[in-house]
Amino acid sequence: MSSGRFRASAHTLAAERRQRVAKGVLAVATALLVLPLLGILGLLVVNGWPALTWEFLFTDPAAGMTAGGIYPAIVGTLWLIGVSLMISAPIGVMAAIYLSEYAGDNWLTRGIHLAIVNLAGVPSIVHALFGVGAFVLFLDLGTSVLSASLTLAVMTLPVIIASTREALASVPLAFRHACWALGASRWQTIRHIVLPNSISGILTGVILQVSRAAGETAPIMFTGAAFYLPFLPASVRDQCMALSMHLFTLSTQVPNVPPAFPYATALVLLAIVVAFNLFSIILRSYLRAHRKW
Amino acid sequence: MSGVPPSAKKIEIESLSVSYGQRRALEDVTLDVREHEILGIIGPANAGKTTLLNCVNRMTDVIPGCRVTGTVRIDGIDVRKIGDVNALRRRIGMVFPLPVGLPLTIYDNVAFAPRMAGVRDRATLDETVERCLRQSALFDEVKDRMNDLGTRLSGGQQQRLTIARALSMSPEILCLDEFSIAVDPVTTMRIEEVLKELRRNMTIILVTNLVQQAKRLADRTALFLGGRLIEVDENAVIFSRRTADARTFSYVQGLFG
Repeated sequence: MSSGRFRASAHTLAAERRQRVAKGVLAVATALLVLPLLGILGLLVVNGWPALTWEFLFTDPAAGMTAGGIYPAIVGTLWLIGVSLMISAPIGVMAAIYLSEYAGDNWLTRGIHLAIVNLAGVPSIVHALFGVGAFVLFLDLGTSVLSASLTLAVMTLPVIIASTREALASVPLAFRHACWALGASRWQTIRHIVLPNSISGILTGVILQVSRAAGETAPIMFTGAAFYLPFLPASVRDQCMALSMHLFTLSTQVPNVPPAFPYATALVLLAIVVAFNLFSIILRSYLRAHRKW
Repeated sequence: MSGVPPSAKKIEIESLSVSYGQRRALEDVTLDVREHEILGIIGPANAGKTTLLNCVNRMTDVIPGCRVTGTVRIDGIDVRKIGDVNALRRRIGMVFPLPVGLPLTIYDNVAFAPRMAGVRDRATLDETVERCLRQSALFDEVKDRMNDLGTRLSGGQQQRLTIARALSMSPEILCLDEFSIAVDPVTTMRIEEVLKELRRNMTIILVTNLVQQAKRLADRTALFLGGRLIEVDENAVIFSRRTADARTFSYVQGLFG
């Protein structure tokens, strides 16, 4: 009598069972996602850790890459990240602001949007080919840090534009309407309301995308990354070594490399990418804590 | 007041029609707003009340797919022929239904429009901020925390902040779109007192869902239904049995809507 009104019907019991099954399947999929990540990390740490010494990090490769370290490759990768960031960040962010805040919805902007989406889907080896044709040969920049960074920049532009537009869209439209109704121009609204409240999100996205590009091999292989260089790049017109390229070289091109070397190189590359990601995550949580609305 | 005949036309709306894509929002509306009056606009949802306000300060420009025909004249000037739309908007204070505190301090919220219009002098800004916050009955509550974020105020306070902001350019016309929707009754009454004061210096269009609010505040009231103007007249007529249209009588009496 007392529990009668609240007793579960056969139907709700069945729904409950189905719900448990669905939840279980979804949880298994999530676990499958984490497994390869842990696997990769475990493999790299176990195999690469013994080789990972200060000497490995801060000396040049020696004895036909069978000894020494990866210092020039680390420096080269940082060069590539830095220079491509300087090219793609301003262009991408400004284009995104134009597309989000100014451009209307017409056939031209829809065409541009389609082009950006498609550009993001172009395989990196095709970007490499474009880089060789456009930067190395046509603009006659040669194989250099500049050519490689330009190629990486072209490759990351669409994703930078997408992430920037997302950050801009996170600022409520109502703020813009309020500003316009007060007689503020579009640029005043962008400058004083939209950008101050999306700049951290924009930076986070930019850093994330560029650090992701740092791991690419194909786009830099023919445009600026060297197999081996006895010197560090002094300007953007020099070639450089790079971690991704070096990893490829160690794994497939050179005989008698100590087996731990490629793993340790991969671990360093991963650490750099993770460091950038971490920086982005910290920036983002700082931003969340200091939200103004 | 200052020699202006009470029936001088501040805003003349003529054959105004607005559509959003396929949807007609306003249909052939002709209506005058007199200088220094409070014009109440009542009507159920989708009556076209907000659209009418958007035509006055040309916010219709920024609504995608919005098409406007007919004319809106302010002091005899067709608003769509005004080159600098921002100059037009500075002359018209606009308060939206939901309070929008900009992500700035309370002070900067009110100083925003003057600053964007080029005012740099701190004393002038201080004076403007205090005057507007007093006018919107918010000053006493925030005077000790002008550097707090405007977005952290309560809903009712934010709405008063929005009104203060709308007053910051000393506009000639003040458009209020259901301002009391997020404000408690006591605050609503205080703002209504403020509006009665402000009428001396400006022309006010008061869009409201509350028929009684229009009755209390407005000199004249217009009823809109489905994008059409049904009737506009002195409150003495609208809130009586002598309405020209039977629908006005039944709407005001709460018989439908």
